[in-house]
Amino acid sequence: MPTTLRIALLAGLLALISNLAVIGFIYFRTNDQAVATVHQQVVEQGKVLADVYRSGGAIALDDAIEDTITYADPQTMIALVSATGQQIKGNVDPSSSTALPRLEGYQHALVRLSGQTTPHESALIAHRLPTGQWLFSGRLAGEGFALRETLERSLLIALVVAGLLGLCCGLILANYVGRRVGEIASVANRISGRDLSQRVPLSGTGDAFDRLGIQINAMLDRITGLMGELRLLTDSLAHDLRSPVSRLRSAAQAAAETSDPVEQEEKLGSVVRQADALIRILSAVLEISRSEALTGRNQFAWFDVGELAAELTEMYDPLVEERGAVLEFARPARTVPLFGHRQLLAQAISNLVENAIRYGAGGGNIRIGVTPGEREIQVEVSDNGPGIPAERREEARRRFGRLDSSRSEEGAGLGLALAESIAHLHQGKLLLDDNAPGLRTVLRLPVVPGDTADRLVGRVARPVPIPR
Amino acid sequence: MGRKILLIEDDRETASYLAKGLTQEGHCIDEAHNGQDGLFRATDGSFDLIILDRMLPGLDGLSVLRALRAAHIETPVLVLSALASVGDRIEGLECGSDDYLVKPFSFAELLARVNALLRRREARIDPAQHRLTVGDLEIEPLSRTVKRGGKKLDLKPREYLLLEYFARNEGRVVTRTMLLEQVWDYHFDPGTNVIDVHVSRLRRKLDEGYEKPLLHTVRGAGYMLAA
Repeated sequence: MPTTLRIALLAGLLALISNLAVIGFIYFRTNDQAVATVHQQVVEQGKVLADVYRSGGAIALDDAIEDTITYADPQTMIALVSATGQQIKGNVDPSSSTALPRLEGYQHALVRLSGQTTPHESALIAHRLPTGQWLFSGRLAGEGFALRETLERSLLIALVVAGLLGLCCGLILANYVGRRVGEIASVANRISGRDLSQRVPLSGTGDAFDRLGIQINAMLDRITGLMGELRLLTDSLAHDLRSPVSRLRSAAQAAAETSDPVEQEEKLGSVVRQADALIRILSAVLEISRSEALTGRNQFAWFDVGELAAELTEMYDPLVEERGAVLEFARPARTVPLFGHRQLLAQAISNLVENAIRYGAGGGNIRIGVTPGEREIQVEVSDNGPGIPAERREEARRRFGRLDSSRSEEGAGLGLALAESIAHLHQGKLLLDDNAPGLRTVLRLPVVPGDTADRLVGRVARPVPIPR
Repeated sequence: MGRKILLIEDDRETASYLAKGLTQEGHCIDEAHNGQDGLFRATDGSFDLIILDRMLPGLDGLSVLRALRAAHIETPVLVLSALASVGDRIEGLECGSDDYLVKPFSFAELLARVNALLRRREARIDPAQHRLTVGDLEIEPLSRTVKRGGKKLDLKPREYLLLEYFARNEGRVVTRTMLLEQVWDYHFDPGTNVIDVHVSRLRRKLDEGYEKPLLHTVRGAGYMLAA
């Protein structure tokens, strides 16, 4: 797990650096303070003694030294030393007194007090008296410097501990991140291994990993849906092409086996018809996937839906009449402008009309209706045939979802699916409804598809509906 | 009646099949097998018709077409394509082609369209088409009146358009798809015999009560108006 290790090391390093900064700050602040306190005390004490000498001379100084030795705290050092280094009066061990630095001013030196076995570092102030003697006064800086030493030691330990803790935290963190990422990665891995049913487990906390997981799961759901649709389509395509292909095959065989030229020509004609039916199925499937992929939007333009419906009524009227039914259409009084694909909508409406002719012509009446609206236009085709029961309507609009089981040449069960995909291209819907009795199919289309409206601003002005 | 036709098609098998068929019809065929070559030959403007495959190696069919139209070469172009969706057909037509035929097609369909395009070119050269006559049928395009044997026929607007289209292609086969595209301007394939119903209605008004029928059914291809 090189990534985990890298993250752990990085976290440890970051902890070390931040701790180093904090500890360093504490150290310098504390150290400065300790030294400053000692310095101030030493200077003050030296000043007091100098004042005593100035005002009272050697005798007063002698008393003051005596008092200091007797009453001051044991950290205090004081010594009056002769020019040769002999201690005249004071609490410094005689062996140490000669080593005192005979240099005017504040300084640090090693001093051994009388009765002590080891010298201690002291801060002291030296002053040369007019008699040639030296007056040393100061403090064993033991407490201050000891504090510094303790601080140094504990800070060092703290630093080591902080570094180790950082490393531990890093390992835990890296492990956690690694585990969450690992879960997602292993799901992705299993998916690449063709198991699309896998989903990323969610912790339920709604954290960033959960959000990532949710997104990936949603993506997988969509892919699964599309794959399912694709599989259904290819399965039904393979299934539905089977019968026309086998019909084509037997027709071709029959034509080949006939010796009578007239019969042969007739059978060859049947071969061509079967091939045409196949091509028609393929074109419809192609057109559906084209529309679902929203290609063809660049061919959108304004046109009058009322006029289109009138044209289609005129086109299908003789056919409906021939089937013994009546085709009704009441054209709206005004133009019904729609921004869309005229050719494809013509195909969608004609599919609905042909559907009505095929299944509903027995009912006598087929009606085409156009309902204008401010934002939405409805184009409906209704018949009084047997209709489709509510529970089978979803099935009816599926590709190859032909409800009757007969495999007649007419219709491959793609009409409604194609009409629906064309509605989708226009951001609209295809509704199947009960016409009591019969089927009522409704195309609900926005006047301008929402996502094309932005592109249109300033390019195509919406035509003003004019009364006809 | 032989015409010069340029065939731009990369698939040699299809090309030779089409060339053979069209040669048998008396046309003179020049072949090109890629876009650049096709465009180069087409630019001399001496052809009566160009048959152009849409998917060509190098320079694709629609680019060839655009280049031709940009160079003001107005030779009629028939585009052949395996791209069958309504959007593709319209795109092809909008690029300046005169007709668009989806593969696979029957040779009869291609021939009918080739003849219609050649005929249209003739008509363009001779615009004084004030009156169309086929046998004892007389059509006045300006007033949209139709007489047969001197007797006026009462046709609905669409029936008139159908008949005029037939008359302009007198003696030539007209397919159902051509009628749907040219008379109705729809580019999809209806699943019903809706076109045949219209033609048979027209035929009833045109030929019923007359000894010699004018509107003939051509088996496996379409219809033909001929005296």
